Amino acid sequence: MGDTARRAPAGTAGHLVLDGLAKTYPGKDGAAVRGIDLAVERGSMLAVLGPSGCGKSTTLRMIAGLVPPTAGTVRVDGRDITDSPVHRRDMGVVFQSYALFPHLDVARNIAFGLEMRKVPKTELKRRVDDALSLVRLGHLAGRRIAQLSGGQQQRVALARALVVEPAVLLLDEPLSNLDARLRSAMRDEICRIQRETGVTTVFVTHDQQEALSMADRVAVMNHGRIEQVGTPEDIYERPARPFVAEFVGRANLLDGTAGDPDGERTSVELPGLGTVSAAGARVARGRTAVVMLRPHRIALTAAAPGTGGARGTVLSAGYAGETVAYRVRVGDTGPVLDVERPTGAQRSFGPGAEVELSWDPEAPRLVAAVEDSEPAEAAEPVRESLS
Amino acid sequence: MNARRLTSTVWAVVLTVLYLFLLAPILIVLVESFDTSSYLRFPPEGFGLDAYRQVFANEAFREGFRVSGITAAATALLAVVTGVPAALALTRLRFRGRAAIEAAFLSPLLVPHIVLGLALLLILAPIPLTDTYVGLILAHLGVTVPYVVRTVSASLVSADPRAEEAARTLGASGLMTFWRITLPAIRPGLLSGGIIAFLLSFDETVISLFVSGQHTVPLPVAVLQYVEYRSDPSVASLSVLLVLLSVVVVVLVERGLGLRRTLRSG
Amino acid sequence: MTADPADGPARAPEDTRAARPATAPPAVKAPPRGRGPGRLALALLAPGLLALLLTYALPLVWVVRMSLNESEEGGAIRQTLSAATFGHVLGSGHYWNVIGQTVELGVLVTFFTLLVSYPVALFLARTTSRWRSLLIALAVTPLLISSVARTFGWMAILGTQGVINKTLTGAGLIDSPLHLANNFTGVVIASTEIYMPFAILAMISGFGRLDPALEHAAASLGAPRRTVFRRIVLPLTLPGVLTAALLVFVLSLSGYVTPRLIGGGRVFVLATEIYDEAITALDWPVAAVLSMLLLAVFGVVITLYLRAQRALEARFTGPREAGS
Repeated sequence: MGDTARRAPAGTAGHLVLDGLAKTYPGKDGAAVRGIDLAVERGSMLAVLGPSGCGKSTTLRMIAGLVPPTAGTVRVDGRDITDSPVHRRDMGVVFQSYALFPHLDVARNIAFGLEMRKVPKTELKRRVDDALSLVRLGHLAGRRIAQLSGGQQQRVALARALVVEPAVLLLDEPLSNLDARLRSAMRDEICRIQRETGVTTVFVTHDQQEALSMADRVAVMNHGRIEQVGTPEDIYERPARPFVAEFVGRANLLDGTAGDPDGERTSVELPGLGTVSAAGARVARGRTAVVMLRPHRIALTAAAPGTGGARGTVLSAGYAGETVAYRVRVGDTGPVLDVERPTGAQRSFGPGAEVELSWDPEAPRLVAAVEDSEPAEAAEPVRESLS
Repeated sequence: MNARRLTSTVWAVVLTVLYLFLLAPILIVLVESFDTSSYLRFPPEGFGLDAYRQVFANEAFREGFRVSGITAAATALLAVVTGVPAALALTRLRFRGRAAIEAAFLSPLLVPHIVLGLALLLILAPIPLTDTYVGLILAHLGVTVPYVVRTVSASLVSADPRAEEAARTLGASGLMTFWRITLPAIRPGLLSGGIIAFLLSFDETVISLFVSGQHTVPLPVAVLQYVEYRSDPSVASLSVLLVLLSVVVVVLVERGLGLRRTLRSG
Repeated sequence: MTADPADGPARAPEDTRAARPATAPPAVKAPPRGRGPGRLALALLAPGLLALLLTYALPLVWVVRMSLNESEEGGAIRQTLSAATFGHVLGSGHYWNVIGQTVELGVLVTFFTLLVSYPVALFLARTTSRWRSLLIALAVTPLLISSVARTFGWMAILGTQGVINKTLTGAGLIDSPLHLANNFTGVVIASTEIYMPFAILAMISGFGRLDPALEHAAASLGAPRRTVFRRIVLPLTLPGVLTAALLVFVLSLSGYVTPRLIGGGRVFVLATEIYDEAITALDWPVAAVLSMLLLAVFGVVITLYLRAQRALEARFTGPREAGS
């Protein structure tokens, strides 16, 4: 493929490298994880994003050594640790339930890993104090776990994982047990701590906002496979696959027929909407193609006679404070699109209103050809269409 | 007015009568324990501590107390030592036949003690282990292990297994994790299982009846034999003393080993 | 948008590929890890299983074996494999009487225990009174006291010189004392009280489906109190009652202390008979056969219970598949 600015292969720079990592549970159909290849750069933060049951937690547990993989390797700094026992792995893990030791106070929880490493008393004390002040809990050292709030427990769990200066920090759904307000505060807090310590971090989440706002790079997983890895912007603006487009943010996915390529773009014939020119995946002429349109990138204007754009009828309008969510049927029998418009200065439309739809030329993205319905097998055709 | 008040009055009367029925023998035992007469009668002749003095003077009761105490302590210890690893395996490991083995561990609770007593007599008599401490302890072990397995399993289930995983990721070996994390987490279940095992063994009558003889006679058997031929208030006094003792044991254990604190923080 | 649009989607899948060495397919590891948990489990289970085997399983096998032996004149046991002892026991009117009395006692005690326990359990399950935990504690207090002591208490209540007779004669209501002890009636009364705490506990824990909101809902739909009880409370508490019934029946079938002490040697049930045959008559084969018969009655009761439970559960969860 004659592409220009290709990055160096991630594997060579990776601090944590997964290679063909797979897990099959005996007695269960299909694999939980179907061969993950992933490289995490030193000091960076990677989010593994996916719906529940997609294998993301199993992947994390395989990295931590809590689940033995059926195939593949885990390497840290080039060293193969696939067969090292959990307690010799040097991974800091923050569990979804925090898994704090209920019979120990805050300071003794944090000291546990240092005690296991036989760190001398004075140094242990200093490092526990440092860890406590890193997570801003110096005043709670003597508290029992049951006396802490959820956010405080989260900080203790972070301090306990970080105090041993692990090679890699692993976070399993770090924010899912917190209420909405605490969640955004902890989000910033985790980012700050990660920046201050510079520890290579992998966290697992099902919340796309969390993944996009915190991570340097995001790996989207589905059915035990990685669908796409990229920067948050890549994932949102340039989804490679229909699943990614729909899972990260809201998307209208429209089936059409690919026409002639036009430089980096391809023209696609969409029923009811005419021909649009979209960048993104390459689809051979005449093949079925999927075009993504984000709802907020579609503009609505009152239909006026004489203009040539796509027309539609508003089916419903849902007021949601900052935005109005419309359902618009294109033409008389065309597809129904989700459209999201800011409230305020914009003119709003009621059900039945005739509208004209428009978007800027960069809005439509070609995400992939339509494949067979089995999503787990879906990754293969894309690779073929790329190479 | 008012059907509602009538209903609640009827309820109160019914409940009071039922509670009286339920507590009647205990109340009578309490009253009779202070009776000064030499045989059981109502109303008591007079009130005093004679019956309590008789309890301490009774050689069979004193010896029975010693036998039951030793047997119950040894039984509880053995039940904990064998039950805790089993509970660990049943709750923390996945293996084939787990459900069947779990059922096997609870099944002694289903077998009537009268049958189990006979069964133990048949197997212990030829060795011969009847009328010995070893025989008594073995006889009590089968019916106490299930309780330990159950209480310890319950603590293990309610304890977050992720805490054990967390300890492993922090560098603790398997044995260290058990010692530092699992054991403290199951302490309430272990203690209550041990106490239940002790009390059950101390109180076990029917099985002991089969496997004890003339030399090693546990207290409940001594009491039963006494009640069969005599009916004086000293048995009532003994019962009161035993209740007080079991309350004291539970309170002491709770205080001394911090059961309450562990429960609260867990 | 600044990035070259074509770069985005094309780059992403490429990244996931880059980490994999182009040549080697993922190495499939031999599964040495599979055996670990099994062996560890065996090691952990071994002491407990050994204890069970020695103190429970093996002795029970011995009972089965003994039931196939025969006893000879003078107390000797002939080792054989025959049903002769079974035949001897089942051919004797005395033993059938004992079985009949055992079942009769079980049925009566179960009935009365449920009758006196249900109101208490229902009250304890529903009350929001601040005395609730005290009342629950009071209801189970009797469990702290050995059944020998409680039976002794009942002897003091029911005997000819006991509380009831002394009170009634003292009040001039009766001339001669009522026969409440040393007979079947006394055993039923005392057993009912002795199994009451078990029944109350079993009922309370089985009343999980009882929710005051349901009663309020029924009342708001116009049902009078009596109908609320019959149509809502009773069906919802039935599973708990059934469990309590099984527990009490099973306990009373094998109860020994109360029939022996209150029965005064005049009440013959399987439990007392097994003891007498084994210890007094030293006829172990007959004792073993009686044990087998007791277990058989147990089996029947538990089967009936499971049937009834399934039928009850079907009302909540819908019928199970046929044949299960």
